[in-house]
Amino acid sequence: MMRTLIAAAAALLMTATPAFAAGTPTYGSARINYKVLPSVKAQIIPNYMSGFGPQGGTGSGSNPAPGPAAVLNGGTVDFGNVVVGFQYLYKYAAQVNVQTNDSAGFVVYAEGATDLNGSNPVPTPATFPLAQTLFWLVNNSGNTPFSPAASFNRTLGTPIGANGLNGIDYSGTGGVPSAGSAVWSSPTSGNLSQGFDYQLRLSGSTPISQFDVYIVYTVVGN
Amino acid sequence: MTRTNLLALLALGTMAALAAFSQADALQSTKAVKQISVTIIITPSPAPVVMHRSAPVDAPPTHSVAVAPAIMELVADPFGGPLLLASSGSVWDVPPSGLMIAQAITAQPTPVPVRFNAKPDPNAAYFRIIPHTSVLNVPYGTTTFACVFEIFTHYTTAHSLADWAWGTTNTAQAGTYPMQNNPTTSYLSWAVPDLAATFHAYANAGSPGEKTWSGLAGQTQQHCVDLTIVVPNSQPPDPTPPYYNATAQYTLIVS
Repeated sequence: MMRTLIAAAAALLMTATPAFAAGTPTYGSARINYKVLPSVKAQIIPNYMSGFGPQGGTGSGSNPAPGPAAVLNGGTVDFGNVVVGFQYLYKYAAQVNVQTNDSAGFVVYAEGATDLNGSNPVPTPATFPLAQTLFWLVNNSGNTPFSPAASFNRTLGTPIGANGLNGIDYSGTGGVPSAGSAVWSSPTSGNLSQGFDYQLRLSGSTPISQFDVYIVYTVVGN
Repeated sequence: MTRTNLLALLALGTMAALAAFSQADALQSTKAVKQISVTIIITPSPAPVVMHRSAPVDAPPTHSVAVAPAIMELVADPFGGPLLLASSGSVWDVPPSGLMIAQAITAQPTPVPVRFNAKPDPNAAYFRIIPHTSVLNVPYGTTTFACVFEIFTHYTTAHSLADWAWGTTNTAQAGTYPMQNNPTTSYLSWAVPDLAATFHAYANAGSPGEKTWSGLAGQTQQHCVDLTIVVPNSQPPDPTPPYYNATAQYTLIVS
């Protein structure tokens, strides 16, 4: 729409100005050719479907339930109280929506801005490895806490803001995330969506604490 | 009369034995269960190559071929002549002309915050699994990994530990790699080298599976578990997520 307006304004300027100067209005048209550069836009929706939340922990003696920070279509992927030594599946954790006119498609990467940050109480050390603790898998009704999944890893980029609240700066690492952090790709343009479940595998060495991390999704046009 | 007494005595003995064992079974209970998962990434290994000397072959006769002058010039100087740009408008994201700047088109939406509250395991004093290796990178063939994880058990009464390939059962369906379903043998085997060097294919016919070890009243044990995995040539590699996954469930059974 903006391009149409600009084209119309340009046409008006090119034709109308001499006409006003001569005092006699005349009309004409101008053809403007322009090229559309590829563009990529993306949105992430946490807890994107009713029924979101954790399940699993069989044998732990407690039933998992979403924590208070989890709300439908937003908030935090909050596993709530989980027991060390058990595994959990978080249904409908995040949905990635991508809009691009890039005919070559795109790749979506996802990394942790940091390791898991412990608080309340602060453990020693204050962080716990994200790798092999938090996993992702494509949403599917047959997913379980033991389904095959891939681990999230801590980024090699620079977190922006407190603990990566505002994302990751990849300018020091070639401008893009590491290839191993790819979670989804498309060979075509379009308006596409993909839902993901998360998996939590708590080893017996996990400290007792509240842990937080930001998972950063980056979409790169091909 | 003697025969009758003997039969009666035999029947009484059988009944007593059955009662005793049934009572023992009834007194056993599952104290705790835990699962351990490992990711298996099959990395294709190069196939062995054997070079054979080829049989001598007479060189084919050569023939003169007439070549167009333009082709001869191109062969002599591939970069000569006017600059040509090979392109097809429909193939390019943006048809090339004028000034173009290569740039990565990226978007980074608001990050997803993730949180959990880790709580202590109420059974940790009796039963723990301590993982050491979470990802097994394996070539085709047989590979053994030492001390992939350790298991700790302790209980005040006699107890035992059982293992089972989680999610498997006794069925005609072969199941998923590597644990499969009974009667197909699991491709993943375990051994507790502290107790015996023998590897056992994971029990895949239902819970609680097979006995891993036994413990006396008050006995504390912590042992490494070695794993051996077989990757048959028929198994496709999995160089991209989500990879293969194997989950073993361990059950602490107390008397």
